[in-house]
Amino acid sequence: MIMLWQFIVALLIAPAVHGVMKQIRARLSRRPGPPIVQPYRDMRKLWGKEALAPSDASVLFTLAPAVLLGISATVLWLVPTVFATDRAAIDIISIALMLALGRFLLVLAALDCRSAFTAMAATREVTFAALTEAPMILALVSASLAHPTPLAETLAAGALILVMLAETARIPIDNQETHYELTMIHEGLLLEYSGWQLALVQLSAYVRQLAFFILIASLLPGDGIVKIAWILGLVVTIPVVERILPKLRLFEVPGLFTTATLLAFAAIGLRIVGVIAW
Amino acid sequence: MIRVSGFIALLAVSVLAIAVLWLHGTTAIAIVPALLSDALRLDFAATPLASPFLVLIAIVAPGIGLWNLSRGNDRDGFSLAGFALAMILVLLAQSVAAFILSWEIMSLVSTFLVATLHDRRYVRRAVFSYVIISQLGVMCLTAALAMLAMNAGSYRFETIAHFAGTIPALLRSVIFALALIGFGSKAGLIPLQFWLPRAHPAAPAAASAFLSGVMLKIAIYGLLLLGLQLASPVPLSWGIATLALGLISAVGGALYASVETDIKRLLAYSSIENIGIIVSGIGLVFVANVLGLHLLAELALLALLFAVLNHGLFKSLLFLSAGTIAQTARTTDMEHLGGLLRLLPATGVAMLVGCMAASALPPLNGFVSEWLLFMSFIHALIAAPMIVQILAACALAALALSGGLALAAYSKLFGIAMLGQRRDAREPQLLAHDRSWLGLVWLGTGCIALGLIPALAVASLQAVAESTLGTRELLSIPLPPSALALLPVLGVVAAIILLRVRGIRRVPTWTCGSPVTVRAQATASSFGNPLLTIFAPLLQAQRSTELCPPTWFPSRIVAKTQLRFRIDDVARNIAARIQNIARAMRIIQGGRLRVYLAYALVAVLVMLVIAR
Repeated sequence: MIMLWQFIVALLIAPAVHGVMKQIRARLSRRPGPPIVQPYRDMRKLWGKEALAPSDASVLFTLAPAVLLGISATVLWLVPTVFATDRAAIDIISIALMLALGRFLLVLAALDCRSAFTAMAATREVTFAALTEAPMILALVSASLAHPTPLAETLAAGALILVMLAETARIPIDNQETHYELTMIHEGLLLEYSGWQLALVQLSAYVRQLAFFILIASLLPGDGIVKIAWILGLVVTIPVVERILPKLRLFEVPGLFTTATLLAFAAIGLRIVGVIAW
Repeated sequence: MIRVSGFIALLAVSVLAIAVLWLHGTTAIAIVPALLSDALRLDFAATPLASPFLVLIAIVAPGIGLWNLSRGNDRDGFSLAGFALAMILVLLAQSVAAFILSWEIMSLVSTFLVATLHDRRYVRRAVFSYVIISQLGVMCLTAALAMLAMNAGSYRFETIAHFAGTIPALLRSVIFALALIGFGSKAGLIPLQFWLPRAHPAAPAAASAFLSGVMLKIAIYGLLLLGLQLASPVPLSWGIATLALGLISAVGGALYASVETDIKRLLAYSSIENIGIIVSGIGLVFVANVLGLHLLAELALLALLFAVLNHGLFKSLLFLSAGTIAQTARTTDMEHLGGLLRLLPATGVAMLVGCMAASALPPLNGFVSEWLLFMSFIHALIAAPMIVQILAACALAALALSGGLALAAYSKLFGIAMLGQRRDAREPQLLAHDRSWLGLVWLGTGCIALGLIPALAVASLQAVAESTLGTRELLSIPLPPSALALLPVLGVVAAIILLRVRGIRRVPTWTCGSPVTVRAQATASSFGNPLLTIFAPLLQAQRSTELCPPTWFPSRIVAKTQLRFRIDDVARNIAARIQNIARAMRIIQGGRLRVYLAYALVAVLVMLVIAR
């Protein structure tokens, strides 16, 4: 029952979470920024507009947005609730492979467009995705081991945060607010989508982002209200990080994922050996 | 007419495999020759361990037959049926001589299949390296099986398995090392993989579908047979070695697949990856078995048997669709392909299913086996001695990395070859009455059915695992949530309805106002380029860019990338050494009949003196 409620609430507030982050980031840059409900307004506006598709794009391109929303919703359904206490029960593999399915679909849609911009974004997307898979699974798996010390849990969450930065298209890996097609990754994939189809794709990105936040919170200590506090902490911290850090050069990003993998290995190592000091 | 009879022959083999399964346990054939009776006895019977592999042959054969009906060569059907028959014989063999004999028949028939297009130089070279590796493998296998037979004092597998516990430790290690070389070389395990990316693409599509889809699994069967029955238990160190070799193959194969630009070679490298994943599962079974972790062993064995079925299905599907592409576009080089989905819709959809299954995406069969295998490693991570825990953590990381790389490889395969626009000026060639996609649909349906209803296979595979391991613990197998596909499928339905209601307007692709050209699309090499750069130290790619003319405004830029499999260098060095030795041995090759007769005579005399 809690699962269903969390699912519904999260689906509804996912765009608002994005709005809050955008607002914080704007304030940090001394701009007034769009109101928190702007994502809803944008989606309503887009929903009313007609959709365009490249003249030669196949049915894969036109079907992808709705399927993508279904996939993101499934990921949201699979993440544990904030009140869940059994951390070994997370279906890690289904979550990881469901995310991979969404990525596969979006990359194929991008390759279908005959556009150099979408193709370049697709190339980068699969490259980084290949490297984030290992730290993500290791970090999540560590939660099912014995000896949950705060240090080990923080290391695992840290690894997952680095993965999340890539998955949700954040600085230092990607920049959601850029206008240069050549530097885009996630935005670049969506370049050919428009109208109601773009609304669907954006909603699915918001949902996936919130699912990731809940997943990270599930690795951190505490239950219930503490978890919600963790999620809020992420929502506030990520714009600050985005404001402080510059975007990394493309081929320096793999180093970030190597760090994530090492953090996750350290978390597993601490829990295997049973270091209970911290 | 001859094609139809070839198809019927393949169907007959499929029916035979099913029939053998039905008879399982009730019939055994023993041919005992009068001379040297025990050593040369040929025993054949169906065992539980062989049954998943028999099922695989029974499912794949009709699919290949259907494809062959419209697109294969006339006489291919018969040689393919013969090949399948030889593989069935290997699975049924229950004595040393029977196993070696059928193994050799299988190798020989497959060599002929690889050599079909022998008028091309690269095919002849591929056949040459394939023959060498086959002979190396069978030599090691004969030695291993002979040692086992000597220890047991019998040549029947039943007796050998009975005395498996009495093998001295050193002999056990030697036997297992030989078996790992023998079966590993046939399976394409790194570092004995060098023949595979050459031989599989050289064969015609139907043959490579059988080679990659089924024959590699026969080697897996051999490794399981030896490790779990004939020489069980495998020493811990060799279990770990098997696991490590499997993981290296998984990552290496996926890495090469992700930067490859030829469809058939990409599929061959991906086979190395899949075999690596399966072999890492075998390693886990061995380790769990020797440590007495029966539940873990059972789960891992179940997972890898499921993976065997899956890989057989989707890899034969993919090789067949690569064959269709090769005939349509007259090339398998992805740099010249594109937009084939419009020309070959049925083939394209089946290939999409194959690509998704191969990338282990839900809701297809590859997802189920990947899920089960990950679950076994997670179990190993939670409840096992520390050494196994550390191994399991490394294994999870390696499997995840290879999964991510495989996704890159298969999104490239489908995205570049099937989507977008044709990159080549040559007109594609379509068959008038093309029914080849029926075979692909047959195999693709298998992938979907096993993915949506894994229970179809799990119960019987669990029975196989239990009877092979001799465990009686009723393990309730965890299965991935089956409702997983619900929302995405709802998404498809919603998308269709929305497209009907709202419609979509077609406009040219947005290219900042410049004309839309075919060359704006990503190519296979540009798609793999970032991974090539990131893994450059491992891949040892030689890249060069040339500007013609070398000014700021060149009219042409030539970029060359040459890949070398670093591990191939090991094989290449060994081959060079062997050739040197062979050259030195030429002195005794007089070329005269008298000299050879003299050699034979001396050999017989020496044998008589030793045997006296």
